[in-house]
Amino acid sequence: MFKDAKRRAVFGVTLLLLAGLAYAISRQLHFPTGKIELDTALSQLPYYAAYSLMRMLTAYFLSLLFSIFYGYIAATVPKAEGPMIAVLDVLQSVPILGFFPVAVFFFVNLFRGSQFGVEVASIVLIFTSMSWNMAFSTYESFKAIPNDLVEAADGLGVRGWLKFKKALFPICIPRLIYNSMMSWAGGWYFLIACEIIAIGSIRYHLPGLGSFLIESVESGEVWRTFYGLFVLILMIVLLDLFVWRPLSVWGEKFKYEFTTTATVPSTSFALQWYRRLRVARRWGRIKEIIGKPARALNPRRYFLPAGERLAQETRERVWIPLRRGLGYLLVGGIFLLIGWSFFLLIEGLAKPLPPEAGRIPGALLASFLRLGIAYLLALAWTVPVAFWVGENPRAFRIVTPIAEIGASIPATALFPFFILLAVHVLGGMNAAAVLLILTGMQWYLLFNLIGGVQNIPGDLKEAAKALGVSKWLYWRRLYLPAVFPALVTGSITAWGGGWNALIVSEYVVYRRETYAVNGIGAMLDRATYEAGDKQMMLLALITMVIAITLLNRFFWRKLYLYAVERYKIDY
Amino acid sequence: MDLLEVEKVSKVFNQNGVPMPVLKEISFRVQEGEFIALVGPSGSGKSTLLRILNGLIPPTEGRVLYRGKALHSVNLDSAMVFQSFALFPWLTVLGNVELGLEARGFPIEARRKKAIQFIEKVGLDGFEEAYPRELSGGMKQRVGIARALAVEPKLLCMDEPFSALDPLTSLALREEVLMLWEDKSMPVNTIIMVTHIIEEAVFMADRVLVLSTHPGTLVADIPINVARPRDRKDPVLNEYSDRIFSLMA
Ligand SMILES: Nc1ncnc2c1ncn2[C@@H]1O[C@H](COP(=O)(O)OP(=O)(O)O)[C@@H](O)[C@H]1O
Ligand SMILES: [Mg+2]
Repeated sequence: MFKDAKRRAVFGVTLLLLAGLAYAISRQLHFPTGKIELDTALSQLPYYAAYSLMRMLTAYFLSLLFSIFYGYIAATVPKAEGPMIAVLDVLQSVPILGFFPVAVFFFVNLFRGSQFGVEVASIVLIFTSMSWNMAFSTYESFKAIPNDLVEAADGLGVRGWLKFKKALFPICIPRLIYNSMMSWAGGWYFLIACEIIAIGSIRYHLPGLGSFLIESVESGEVWRTFYGLFVLILMIVLLDLFVWRPLSVWGEKFKYEFTTTATVPSTSFALQWYRRLRVARRWGRIKEIIGKPARALNPRRYFLPAGERLAQETRERVWIPLRRGLGYLLVGGIFLLIGWSFFLLIEGLAKPLPPEAGRIPGALLASFLRLGIAYLLALAWTVPVAFWVGENPRAFRIVTPIAEIGASIPATALFPFFILLAVHVLGGMNAAAVLLILTGMQWYLLFNLIGGVQNIPGDLKEAAKALGVSKWLYWRRLYLPAVFPALVTGSITAWGGGWNALIVSEYVVYRRETYAVNGIGAMLDRATYEAGDKQMMLLALITMVIAITLLNRFFWRKLYLYAVERYKIDY
Repeated sequence: MDLLEVEKVSKVFNQNGVPMPVLKEISFRVQEGEFIALVGPSGSGKSTLLRILNGLIPPTEGRVLYRGKALHSVNLDSAMVFQSFALFPWLTVLGNVELGLEARGFPIEARRKKAIQFIEKVGLDGFEEAYPRELSGGMKQRVGIARALAVEPKLLCMDEPFSALDPLTSLALREEVLMLWEDKSMPVNTIIMVTHIIEEAVFMADRVLVLSTHPGTLVADIPINVARPRDRKDPVLNEYSDRIFSLMA
């Protein structure tokens, strides 16, 4: 009980910290005006693709390092575990895109208005979209290391880096690969969003596929937009075939008997090619050549076993106090940060509320309705499709590849088309905003539902059919209850995606003309990009975070627990 | 000098904040060259005691002396064999056996040569590149034994090494362990084995230590005065078994 209260306290403090920090760093806003030019010649397309890919890779490797480090510390330092996991919990439920404007201004200011600041901001944002689930996965994997394995390593005298490399880290690999694939797919969404926002709302040059897409639409060359989209999809599919699939098949060998991972493809033609090319052995040889001089420098080689003893003594005398010191420093730093953001928060909120603040509840409601409509639309097509797929295997073979391609297109890449639609066809943003949100929600639902349908035991279906139940009864008594847990899980992720989508879909700049609807996302965007009103920005952000947190705590989590308890098919 | 001296070792675990005594004032000595079996009902703290003897976990009270010196961290002169085999699933047989040598800073050629030698010693030639999951239980435990022997320990600690194996395999492996123990070319000459099968203890050991439960205390220290090689069906061994069984019941 006490532990729970402590967790909740950390949760609250982290929220405050984030909000305060967001406010603190957005205190001086400068943004350039005027149009920036981006060359949309097709010959530039490869460069843009390379730029986007570089951004993704940088963010991904940062996430990888972060998640391994964070997961390891959280799993092995008992005092740090509780707070670190609570912080991760909060970070995971925050709408990341809401912080993009803040991040942009912070880094642009930090780098004195240079291009580099936007670049850093976009990488930071993609990083935040990738890291949390990866960190959770490493944490859980490290926690799951069987005690015997650790003792086997200790008993053999395996220590330090060797222990980490050979005895501990490998257990993370299968889940880390799986989560990397998820994060990588999600990363594209945020990457394209960053590039589009940068060029549209804040007028910075962030060369990449996203900016190419929006620029080519704005200059009326829609066919170029299609080229851009094609290159993007091609890149995503190739990376999947030649990097992620072989990796996930290769990762199977690291599975410990009792660890379970989500299903991964079990074959990969690319992996077979790599095996035939003996990639691993060649890499080993390269490492050998590079590593030789490094090993010659290793002092342990010359001082055996006295050097060994010295090393151990150094470790005990120096490293342990040093580590403790670092721990204290870190905790102190965090407390300072908390105090500072509290101060700023109070300072920011103590001012009389601006008149627009009265419109926040209305805006929140409008956004909520938009999310609700998009969610219902998504349900309306995914539930029957999932049912159809579950009932006949042929449909499964048709739908799966289509859905996989569809889901691999980051929804943000379609924004330029939706803007065209909104401006020229629908004559307003409202319908377009709902469509945009829908694209950010539907795939999560579809994949979870298909997974749920496939998990219905065949004998249950046959039993129902043998009883001669009508189609309606079959739906009500078997299909809906059986997929309910999957539906809830899918809905939670879909709403998470939806809140993020709000920020890019309620406020759009097209040909220097702003198209916006009344909503909390638009309010946040307007406060940052137009008015530079920090107080409003802070209020909108806090409102959103609180709404999401409350919804998660009091609706989705309850529903999830209920679903698991009531409808789990388990013999 | 005795190889191992155990002086009033006690261990208390914390379970949800409640202290739970597991071992209480255990004292005994082990001479070089002895084969000791540690028996007791499940939960009597046999595994805990073995880990303390190996230096993997510290005792709450008392101390363990190895060659007259108090043990403060893992005893690198001893090695452990686990009931669950505790093989690293991502390392090949060779990788598993090499690991202890790598930790001791052996250069790659030397450790490979030595590892292969021990893999052959346990009869697994040709399986160097196999992964543990491709092996049967008996073969896995052979890898576990090869891995322990490869670091050339003086003392071998085994925690129910044959319990996870089928009866025939475990019979065969018992004989092999005895052969390895008697093999003069092996540095290892002292073995402490935990087991809950009394017949196994009596058949293999020079001395059987009997633990009682809640908390574990040493209730008997019984030398098995039967010449080797022994016959499993020897009625004298049965008498020993019956005596130990009545002590535990
Ligand atoms: N790390 C630990 N933390 C708390 N309790 C433990 C721990 N290890 C063992 N115990 C407890 O100590 C008792 C003895 O365990 P163990 O030494 O494994 O017994 P045995 O091997 O004789 O079956 C058991 O009740 C077990 O639950
Ligand atoms: Mg045990």
